[in-house]
Amino acid sequence: MALEDVCKSRSRAKPASLLDFDVPVAECLQENPPRSGTPQNPLPFEMSHGTTTLAFTFQGGVLAAGDTRSSCSGRVSCPDAEKVKPIHSHLVATSSGTSADCTLWKRILARELRLYQLRHGRRVSTGGAAKLLWHMLLPFKGTKLCVATTLCGWDESGPAIFYVHSDGRRLRGTLFSVGSGSPYAYAVLDQAVESGMTAEEATRVAREAVYRATHRDAYSGNCVDIYLVTSTGWTRREREDLKEEYYRERKNRQGGTV
Amino acid sequence: MASKGALCGCIPSQKCANKKPRKLLAHRVVSKMALASVLNQNCAAFSFGSRQTTAFDCGPGLSGVGLESTSGDNFRFAIRNPMRPVVEDGDVESKIQFLHGTTTLAFKFQHGVIVAVDSRATAGSYICSQTVKKVIEINPFLLGTMAGGAADCGFWERMLARQCRVYELRNKERISVAAASKLLANMVYQYKGMGLSMGTMVCGWDKRGPGLYYVDSDGSRVCGDLFSLGSGSVYAYGVMDSGFRQDLTVEEACDLGRRAIYQATYRDAYSGGQVNLYHVHSEGWTRVSQDDVLELHQRYKDQA
Repeated sequence: MALEDVCKSRSRAKPASLLDFDVPVAECLQENPPRSGTPQNPLPFEMSHGTTTLAFTFQGGVLAAGDTRSSCSGRVSCPDAEKVKPIHSHLVATSSGTSADCTLWKRILARELRLYQLRHGRRVSTGGAAKLLWHMLLPFKGTKLCVATTLCGWDESGPAIFYVHSDGRRLRGTLFSVGSGSPYAYAVLDQAVESGMTAEEATRVAREAVYRATHRDAYSGNCVDIYLVTSTGWTRREREDLKEEYYRERKNRQGGTV
Repeated sequence: MASKGALCGCIPSQKCANKKPRKLLAHRVVSKMALASVLNQNCAAFSFGSRQTTAFDCGPGLSGVGLESTSGDNFRFAIRNPMRPVVEDGDVESKIQFLHGTTTLAFKFQHGVIVAVDSRATAGSYICSQTVKKVIEINPFLLGTMAGGAADCGFWERMLARQCRVYELRNKERISVAAASKLLANMVYQYKGMGLSMGTMVCGWDKRGPGLYYVDSDGSRVCGDLFSLGSGSVYAYGVMDSGFRQDLTVEEACDLGRRAIYQATYRDAYSGGQVNLYHVHSEGWTRVSQDDVLELHQRYKDQA
C-alpha cells in the first residue's frame, strides 16, 4: 500500500517539492469540520491516558522509556503493548492516549519520513518530524482523537525531544513524562536527572521512575521498555518484568507494608 | 440541654453538673438531641462560630486551605439542611468548592512517624497565603494534618483534642492513636453527605509504638505505613516510595519527607511556601524544621 501511494503521487504533474507530504484527513471531517464543543458521536466509554512514558536527554543522547500495560475501561487489555517504537534509525517515539490512534499516526509519520528520505537523500530533523506530525493532526483538533507522543531523536544538531499532542501542543524540552503515571515518574526524575549523566545512570533512573509509577498508578504496569538514541542510532534494552522487582523490594523492606 | 456543646455527639456530662453521672444514657440522649438540633436548623451550628469568634475562629492565617472564596470574602460554612427544601437564592453548598490544593504526607519508620506538610493556601488560582499551619497539635503525643476545608479540619480536630483530654482524665492514661482516630471518624460520620470536607492523618505514638491513621469526611479510616494527601500527593509518593526503608535513621527520614514535599511543590502549582516537618517519637512530637522551598531548591541544586 505504501508503494501504491508513492506511485499515485508520482503521477501528479508537478515535481516533488520539499514539502510534498501526504496529509491524510478523514472525508467526514472535510465535509463537517468539528466545531469546538461536544462531538456528535459520544464514545461508549471514557478514554484515559492510562500509561507512563518518559523521555529525557543525557550525555551523548536521548532516553525514552515506557511501561507496557494497555488498559480499557478498567481492565488490562494487553499486558505487553509496545508504547515506545522506533520510527527510523535515529528517531524513537513514545505513545500515550488512545493506542489505536498512536499506532496509526506513528505509521503514517514513519511513511512520510521515509518517503522524504528517499526523495531528498537526507533525514528530516526531529523538530521537523514533530512539526509534520502536528500538522497532520491539526484537522482532527476538536475531535476525540487522542495522541500524546514524545519524539526523541538524534539529528545534525544533536539530541532533541519534542512533545506533540493532538490538541495542538508541540513543545521542545529536555525532560518529559506523559500519562496517568507521569506525576510519580516526575518526582523521581526531577531528583535524579542531570545533563551530564552516563547511559547506565540514565537507564537506572528511568527504570526506577517507571517502576515507581507502575507501583502507584493502576493504569500502568507489567514491564518496562527502554530505548537509547545516540549518534549511531537507537538501541533497545531488553524488556524487564517489574513484578520481580516488586517482590525483591518487598523482601528487602523487612516486613514494612507499603 | 446544652446543644451547642454537644455538637459532636459526645459525652458532655460535665455540662449537666446538677445531674447524676448516668454516662451512657446521657450520651445517647444528648447525642440525639445534638443531631436533632443540627437538623432543625437551616444552617448547621458551625455558623455560631461567627458569634463566638474567639473560640472557633480559623483566624486570618487559616482562611483558605483550598477554599473558593466567594465575593466579599465572607466564609460562611453553613451547610444546607437536607430535610428542608432548597432555598431559591442559590444552594449554599454549591458556592463552596474545596480544592484540596495541598501536599501533606506522613510515614512510619522504626523511630516513629515523620509528618511533613507544605504551607500554601489557594482560592481558585489566587494564592491566599504561603504561611498556613497545616499540622494541628492535638496533644503532646498526637498530631493531625489538614487537607480539604480549613474550617472543617481545624474545628473537628479541636473537638478531637477535647475528647482526647476527657478520655485522659477519665481513664488516667493517654488515648491510643487508634482510639483517637476512631473518635474523629465517628464524629464526622454523623455528618456524612452534608458537605464536610476533611482529609486528615492522625499520627502519634502510643503503647503499641508509632501509629498512623488516615481519616476523612466520607467516613474512611485506614491504618497504614505511608500516606500522602492533596493535589501534590502523587509527586510525593514517587519520592517516598524510592527512598523509604524501615531502617532509616531519623536524619534520613526527615530528609526524605522534606525532599518529597519539595518535589511536590516543584511540580504542583497548588503546593508551595514552606515545608513544615514534625517527628513523633516515644516522648511525643517535636517540630524538626521549617524550610522555605526556594531555599531548598538552592540547597538541592548545590548538592547535585
